[in-house]
Amino acid sequence: MALNSAGGIQGAQAPSGLSRLYSRYATECGLLIAIFAVIVIAILIDPTNAYLEKPWYNATEILRHASILGIFAMGAGIVIISGGIDLSSGSVIAFSGVICCSMILGLCQFAGLVDDTGNPVTANLPGWILVVAISGTLGVGFIVGSFHAWLITVVRLPPFIATLASLVGLRSLGRVLIQDVNRVFTSNANTQIYIRDATYKSLGNEWYIPVIICAVVALVLFTLMRSTVTGRHLYAIGGNEDAARLSGISTEKKKWLAYCIGTMTAALAGILYSSYVGGAMPDRDGLGYELNAIAAAVVGGCSLAGGLGTISGIVLGAIFLRVVIDAVAKTVKDNPDEFQGMIVGLLVVLAVTFNELRSQKGDRKKFFPGALGIVNIISLTVLMGLVAMLVTSDGDSSTDDSRDKLFAGCLVAGITFAVLVARKMFESRPTGEQALVSTPITANAQSDSSAGGSSSESGKQEIEGDGPGGGEEADEGMDS
Amino acid sequence: MSVQALISIREVTKRYPGVVALDSINLDIREGECHSIVGENGAGKSTLMKILSGVITDYEGDLELRGERIRFSGTRAAEAAGISIIHQELNLVEELSASANIFLGREKVRGLGLLDDVSMERAAGELLKSLECDVDPRERAGALRVGDQQLIEIAKALSLNTEILIMDEPTSALTESEVARLYRVIERLREQNVTILYISHKMDEIFRISDRITVLRDGQLVETLDREATDPRRITHLMVGREIEATSFDEPRQPTGEILRVENLSLPWPGHAKEWRLRDISFSLQSGEILGIAGLMGAGRTELMECLFGASEVPYQGEVVFDGESVRFHHPAEAKAAGVALVTEDRKRLGLFSQMSVGNNITMCTLDELVSMPLRQIDRRKEAAAAEESISQLAIKTSGPEAQVTSLSGGNQQKTIIARWLRTNPKVLLLDDPTRGVDVGAKAELYRLMDSLCREGLGILLTSSELPELLTVCDRIIVFCEGRLTGEFTREEATEEKLMEAATQLE
Repeated sequence: MALNSAGGIQGAQAPSGLSRLYSRYATECGLLIAIFAVIVIAILIDPTNAYLEKPWYNATEILRHASILGIFAMGAGIVIISGGIDLSSGSVIAFSGVICCSMILGLCQFAGLVDDTGNPVTANLPGWILVVAISGTLGVGFIVGSFHAWLITVVRLPPFIATLASLVGLRSLGRVLIQDVNRVFTSNANTQIYIRDATYKSLGNEWYIPVIICAVVALVLFTLMRSTVTGRHLYAIGGNEDAARLSGISTEKKKWLAYCIGTMTAALAGILYSSYVGGAMPDRDGLGYELNAIAAAVVGGCSLAGGLGTISGIVLGAIFLRVVIDAVAKTVKDNPDEFQGMIVGLLVVLAVTFNELRSQKGDRKKFFPGALGIVNIISLTVLMGLVAMLVTSDGDSSTDDSRDKLFAGCLVAGITFAVLVARKMFESRPTGEQALVSTPITANAQSDSSAGGSSSESGKQEIEGDGPGGGEEADEGMDS
Repeated sequence: MSVQALISIREVTKRYPGVVALDSINLDIREGECHSIVGENGAGKSTLMKILSGVITDYEGDLELRGERIRFSGTRAAEAAGISIIHQELNLVEELSASANIFLGREKVRGLGLLDDVSMERAAGELLKSLECDVDPRERAGALRVGDQQLIEIAKALSLNTEILIMDEPTSALTESEVARLYRVIERLREQNVTILYISHKMDEIFRISDRITVLRDGQLVETLDREATDPRRITHLMVGREIEATSFDEPRQPTGEILRVENLSLPWPGHAKEWRLRDISFSLQSGEILGIAGLMGAGRTELMECLFGASEVPYQGEVVFDGESVRFHHPAEAKAAGVALVTEDRKRLGLFSQMSVGNNITMCTLDELVSMPLRQIDRRKEAAAAEESISQLAIKTSGPEAQVTSLSGGNQQKTIIARWLRTNPKVLLLDDPTRGVDVGAKAELYRLMDSLCREGLGILLTSSELPELLTVCDRIIVFCEGRLTGEFTREEATEEKLMEAATQLE
């Protein structure tokens, strides 16, 4: 439902006044409504009324997490807008935690803040140590981003590969590094560093600090993307890199900037995260966060093809993601963390599906063609039943649990199956001549000297059905 | 038709939005003949062949194969009926071997569904040998020379028991010995009673191999002639003989001195049979003059413009003198700063930012002038004013700068891009086929625009695939053929026949 309204962003005509405002910010409006709706649903179905009992606590928790996610999601989003992809943010978060904490240890030694055994004392750090450590960490973010930009624009690796290398490499580097750092600066060889300083810890633990930092970063990046020449050029590169280069835009420099924003925001988030958990644990910190960031950007209206998306959309996408995760955590009492991956996965699939639909609007899309469709109807049915069973497991466990679960699972599976089969029947109605014409196989490979492109099979179009029925059904099932 | 027609094309029409690519074509192809289809770029040759080979499936009219009405649902169906096409851009999977390419989609298998590479390679080897192609069938297709790759496509067609083979400008990328080998292959195919449809605009080839020649012009069939009954001069005349609506620019323009001079410019073509994309090009352009570049597709017009604009991937040799100074641009940004503007050939791919508005497209190159001070942020009021100014100056038909650029017609999109470049105050404007895909009325407007820009002192270098256009607009015309400069004419001297002769003048 959040994503439904995203379609109206490309009006052919220039509308005026309110409708123009709406069409420009359609994604944002949709996300706001969706966030509100998810909260209302969560309040309605949450048996323990967590939101109503502790509204302030819950609001600040959601905002804290959404802010940290939002900071590096904006970086990932700017890379996506400029036509690339940054898979490294999770590992950069872990790595920058290691760097920041290591620098603090090293600077403690440097300043003589050690106890009797020679171990650094990290409580009550002087301010300059924090300033140096944080700036140094951001500097490392800059270096990593520059390395990405070099791999991509000079060595000409695909962005996916270049940042994939960082994704796997940086975390590993951090894990090796942290042991040596501990060996040098302390008397052990731990795989973690703990920082005791209250100021440092407050950065991530006082809820308003991440929120303020996120807001400031958002303001800066919003201005950059919306109001500066550089921002316009980033959109241009993402939309049509060749045309941008031929317009005299130095695409390499702009990409350098984009990838540095990607890694520096991740480094900033890494510092906040490390402060929140009180140290650096590179084997666990930020694991899988790169996908959360991409998910937030995509849900927030960025097209993976580049050239589309706004900072405000990305921030709302991050909030939406956290709200959904939190709502599920509230309604599913036991081990909510384990549901996070499912939610993010589902939202990414839905958002990208919608993006695809948006770019080929008017095309009547078949979701369940042939044998592949049948297999996926069955698997989606089983999946939905399974999810329903798992979700039912909590609640008041006074009644017979397993029977409840089975019932709920079968019910949801049955409904899903009925809906999907109905959709398939709807799709496989004969649609006149269009069904008989197969796609020309070689049509894509020719340079057309004559007018127009290859055969555009704009046969009789059916009136578009109501979006992807299956997808929405899945969405509903997840929320409730 | 006295002889039995193998294929009859009956009233075939193909429309694209705004353009009629083929207009009621009627043509009979006789069994076993070699039939050449000639015409200028955009005459409809390729479209017609794509219909015959099942690439294009929605068209009006009928095809008859041996008197039976057929309508192909795709290239597979056409191949099953015995019609294969060799495209100008070859369709090979470069990572697969030659034999795998030949049998792609109909691989031979042994028991258990395993590929029978041995027998495929043997069959492929025999086929290739029969075509005088001594490459190893196990060789990776991408590693082969273009001529050999083409023979692999021909071998593929033969292994399909093709009766009708369509070749779309097959010699455009071949060396001379490869061309000679191709002729021999064609002879051999004809002995096997394969009917050949041969698309080309090179007169010597056409007169060497064809039995009959059909001339297409602007989507219409002009005439079908026996080779014996005609000569290259007449065919050339038929190809170009078209009336263009006379946009007359009565007052002669006054060139005001040299702005751009190119001396012995050569552009290497690494890894290609022909070593040079451009060879020893020298010419000069004056301010207040429109210099046309004529040439067929692949003659090197676009490559020249890329060199002049600093957009060429490969560095060129030779010297470019711009505004009195010897220059060498390494990036379009340098060319832009110096005062050179390029309106690219492929509007969609290289020019438009299709997700942006008209205004944003217009101001893309000159945003630095539209910022206000504190943060150097874009001043939206200035930007809108600049866009409005350009829109009215060039009479771009749009609802306003906020409209999506994709909502505009082709001609107005082109004007949007020209407006973008005019805002940079260029001294030289490079226009690469600016009227492609633009309707007639908008063309005339673009001509008038060029004329007035020129009178304001701009030097314009214009390429076009339409000769009448060049003859109407240009003061002088130079002609390219396969990377060489083969002719230079003033407007008074130039005729379409002369230009076409120079453009088809092979070494």
